[in-house]
Amino acid sequence: MTDEATALIAEYWAVGLFTIAVFTLCALMIGAASLLGGRSYGRSKSLPFESGVVGTGNARQRFSVKFYLVAMLFVIFDIEAVFLFAWAVSVREVGWEGFAGAAVFIFILLAGLIYDSRVGALEWAPRKRGQSPDIVTDQ
Amino acid sequence: MTSLLALSPLILVCATAIVVMLAIAWRRCYDLTATLTVIGLNLALAAQLLAWWQAPLDVTPLLTVDGLSIFGGVLILVATLACATLGHAYLEGARGPREEYYLLLLCAAAGGIALVSSRHLASLFFSLELLSMPLYGMLAYTYRERGALEAGVKYMVLSAAASAFLLFGMALLYAFTGHLDFAGLGGALASAGGDGWLLAGMGMMLIGLGFKLSIVPFHLWTPDVYEGSPAPAATFLASASKVAVLVVLLRLLQSAPATQDAWFHSLLAVLAFVTMLVGNLLALMQQDLKRLLGYSSIAHFGYLLVALVINEGLAVETAGIYLVTYVLTTLGAFGVVTLLSSPYGGADASRLHHYRGLFWRRPYLTAVLTVMMLSLAGIPLTAGFIGKFYIVAVGVEASRWWLVGGVVAGSAIGLFYYLRVMVTLFLPEPGMQRRDATTDWAQRAGGVVVLALAALVVLLGVYPAPMIDWVRLMAAT
Repeated sequence: MTDEATALIAEYWAVGLFTIAVFTLCALMIGAASLLGGRSYGRSKSLPFESGVVGTGNARQRFSVKFYLVAMLFVIFDIEAVFLFAWAVSVREVGWEGFAGAAVFIFILLAGLIYDSRVGALEWAPRKRGQSPDIVTDQ
Repeated sequence: MTSLLALSPLILVCATAIVVMLAIAWRRCYDLTATLTVIGLNLALAAQLLAWWQAPLDVTPLLTVDGLSIFGGVLILVATLACATLGHAYLEGARGPREEYYLLLLCAAAGGIALVSSRHLASLFFSLELLSMPLYGMLAYTYRERGALEAGVKYMVLSAAASAFLLFGMALLYAFTGHLDFAGLGGALASAGGDGWLLAGMGMMLIGLGFKLSIVPFHLWTPDVYEGSPAPAATFLASASKVAVLVVLLRLLQSAPATQDAWFHSLLAVLAFVTMLVGNLLALMQQDLKRLLGYSSIAHFGYLLVALVINEGLAVETAGIYLVTYVLTTLGAFGVVTLLSSPYGGADASRLHHYRGLFWRRPYLTAVLTVMMLSLAGIPLTAGFIGKFYIVAVGVEASRWWLVGGVVAGSAIGLFYYLRVMVTLFLPEPGMQRRDATTDWAQRAGGVVVLALAALVVLLGVYPAPMIDWVRLMAAT
């Protein structure tokens, strides 16, 4: 057991030393700066530093929920491309069976696309009032 | 060709999901969507017979079709059918889109069927996700209710955390064995013995699966989610989803004999014991029927874990029989809640005082709920008794006295709160509660389902031989 432990230490001592050195260096830099450096307080000092430009507005902006919907749809159809790449590199090996599988896969995604467009997920502009909507959403 | 036939139930459910999606895109018609769903599920149920003729068969390295997977598949399909029928009545008066509920239900059912037949960690993970993802949507389906939205978000966040544990566990196991299929993993685990990393991997996977089954240290989400979510979704969560996860856990424990390891084995035993007691104790003072059913389901999975811990002799058969009785009873009990909640908007009628004096207004519906409560408590002449009898018999045969004691103590505690519900049903009505099922509930599809479930529970309690034969047949292959 001790032999194993010794071997382990012998193998990894450099990593351990590196880790300790990193932490020591960080502590040294922050510690020395806080001990030796001067301090100044003021109203503008507590503002976030934006390369010298005074920040405007609030970071907590509200985005339309449509952004998230579109992002989600993008991810779905992006993943489609990823899976098709996997098929493309092995297209000769998997033969017609693979072709049938890929065709079914694309058909399912096509059905999903039809569904998306029919329920209005792809419509960018908010629905007008008074138009009888397919989906009733809270605006 | 044989493999396509063997997978036909899964393929049919997926195809139904796509057909339903296209049907919704074509025209929003609530009854059409529901009918298509039910037809597809029934076809899939019939196709289980086709699959049975091909079994046992390994389809690709990912899936296998054998008795256990067909058993699980049939239970999931039956539960899904019941949820679809109950959901039809429940959503009839709902505002907003109602058709997508069936889409989510079908996707979740497909995930469940894939889960029970998976024999590879990759298929285990993706089918578990396919089962859980639609559930987030279903639990928050009536999102105008605060409770439903909370239930959906809570389940989503916690479930994602549990999935992370599951994945980490799989990664550890793969790193140290180099296998992802259950059989190879089992072999490597057996030869590696009780290595610390492997135990950590198994433990993390147990956390992930234990969350889905709401085993005790991971049970905190259960009552909140059950209480807040719409009743048909809660029904699916309590029946089909849990069956699927338990079956895959059973398969995992059978093919990977990590339970041979004393440490892991005693961990499972402790979890089972604690789950039984805590589930029953927490249910004692609940004022809400859905919360109470949530705690009761925790306790029931404690009993089921006993069969998994013992994992010898009749253990598989016991787990099967207990699952059948549990699913029938849970569907019935939640079905009554659904029927009472459906005709009204707003939150579900799940507070116990909504049920006060129900007997004097809806005697037959009350009889159904009474039978379900008796069955949950494990009273003779109901199906629940047969299941509990098997658990105790297996425990006694393996001389696991602690676990048997836990089952007995748990059942004794359980009797109190099940009886409390029953007493509430028969109390004279003070003339203030107006939550009620529609007068023609028994003629509607949901009511018929509930009545059939009650009849089945009593029938199987009196004459359980067909069920026992079927489960034995399924466990044998």
